[in-house]
Amino acid sequence: MISLESSIIRFKDVSKKYSQDNIVFSGIDLEIEKGEFVFLTGPSGIGKSTMLRILFCAERPTSGEIWVDGVALSSLSNSQVPYLRRKIGVIFQDFKLLSNHTVFDNVALSLEVIGLGKKQAEKRVMQVLEGVGLTGKASRYPLQLSGGEQQRVAIARAVVNRPPIILADEPTGNLDLQRTEEAMMLMEELNARGATIIFATHDERLFEDTHRRVLRLLNGKIEIQ
Amino acid sequence: MILPTFYHRAFYDLRQDLCAQLITTMVVSLSILIFAFFTLLYFNLQHFVERFGTELGLTIFLTEDTPKDRILSLYQELTELPGVEKVTYISSKEAFGRLENFLKDEKEVLEGVDPEFLPPSFEIQINRAVFQLERIKQLAGEIDKWPEVSKVQFGQEWIDRLYVFSSLARIIVAIAGLLLLFTAAFVVTNTIKLTVYARQEELEIMRLVGATNIFIQGPFLVEAFLQGLLGSSLALGAVFACYRFLQGLEAKSELLRGVNICFIPWHYTVVIIASSVLLCVLGSALAMRRFLRL
Repeated sequence: MISLESSIIRFKDVSKKYSQDNIVFSGIDLEIEKGEFVFLTGPSGIGKSTMLRILFCAERPTSGEIWVDGVALSSLSNSQVPYLRRKIGVIFQDFKLLSNHTVFDNVALSLEVIGLGKKQAEKRVMQVLEGVGLTGKASRYPLQLSGGEQQRVAIARAVVNRPPIILADEPTGNLDLQRTEEAMMLMEELNARGATIIFATHDERLFEDTHRRVLRLLNGKIEIQ
Repeated sequence: MILPTFYHRAFYDLRQDLCAQLITTMVVSLSILIFAFFTLLYFNLQHFVERFGTELGLTIFLTEDTPKDRILSLYQELTELPGVEKVTYISSKEAFGRLENFLKDEKEVLEGVDPEFLPPSFEIQINRAVFQLERIKQLAGEIDKWPEVSKVQFGQEWIDRLYVFSSLARIIVAIAGLLLLFTAAFVVTNTIKLTVYARQEELEIMRLVGATNIFIQGPFLVEAFLQGLLGSSLALGAVFACYRFLQGLEAKSELLRGVNICFIPWHYTVVIIASSVLLCVLGSALAMRRFLRL
């Protein structure tokens, strides 16, 4: 049982439906502890991405309440949402990189947004790029990199401003086995440094031997394994 | 501190996407060029009507028995009339001299004719600022009632035609100008919308990493500001070049001499530039509105 004080994410009776016939999930109660690494799984199209999108306020739940780092999402106005998003690093399957910006600029964007000074930002970006094994590729453009490298740029962008929460939405979906393992190791490293990670995937091989919690989304409900 | 960031990012984006930015600027420039050219035509037409109207003026013929000492007081009274800019007295002798000059080689026909047979007259020039057909008519009517005045001449037929023509031209120019302005506004805002849509993904990513609306919108607004400023300046520059070219033609051509082509008054050029900038900035802000929701 997780205590309320240590939970960084909390769902209380959360439902999301687009219409009466299209109910994504309902009555979800869930708590995720600070520093925890959880897998969110379920078949494709079941609502994993929707759950993550609700967490970073790209969508609102139909009913219920969600707390992220002690903040009730329903109390946030649109103008406050960017400040919440700075606490959350998001990684996507399709990387979502700016193709006309260099690797450095893609990663630096997260720091520019929070108004970090140029020198500090440069130092932090180079550190992070080194951490994800992309030293020497800072001036390249995303399309000049392999899929695995692009995913590492996306990871670097998500973590460069040191967010306490990382949401990964099928981050290994477009990677081969070797790149998937590399990406998983990076995620493990980030978690070891204290980040709370929700890793959404339909690939059961990624957590079949894990000791971590697995949240399975099925028929609009969460099963915890 | 946020403004330098906007400028830095705006110039970065301009460099990254120079071709699209230049196309937008050219569209802005062409739209404003058509409007500015039309404005130039409008001002020249107005200028011509004003000048032609005032040059017509009024000629007041006096009765032959008007005492000489009354002429000075009449001159004073005419000068004091509202809207009168200049009064010139033409004595009978001066009028005779003008007739002689007009006849040139055939002035012999005037031999033996009394140099004082023509009536003395006053020529009145109307103030350009208050030039109005109604005012001229009213003035002519008032003066005609004076006992010393035999006739007032002011080319009524010409002025009537000019008045109808200028009123009609003004209405046509105003409607066409308004339509052109709407067309320019439509083209400019839609072109900017297209550039914003083309960068939809970039906007989404910026929102994702926690950028505030002002942070996202700022550089776009700076870009739109620069596009509006550059586009309208280029358009006015082109219209000015066209004006100088016509001025050159005017100096060389007998036909155009005296047309006295004028440029758009400077405060109107400021209004055109400011409107263009405002149009681009508003177009950009409107186009971005849908991307700045949750």
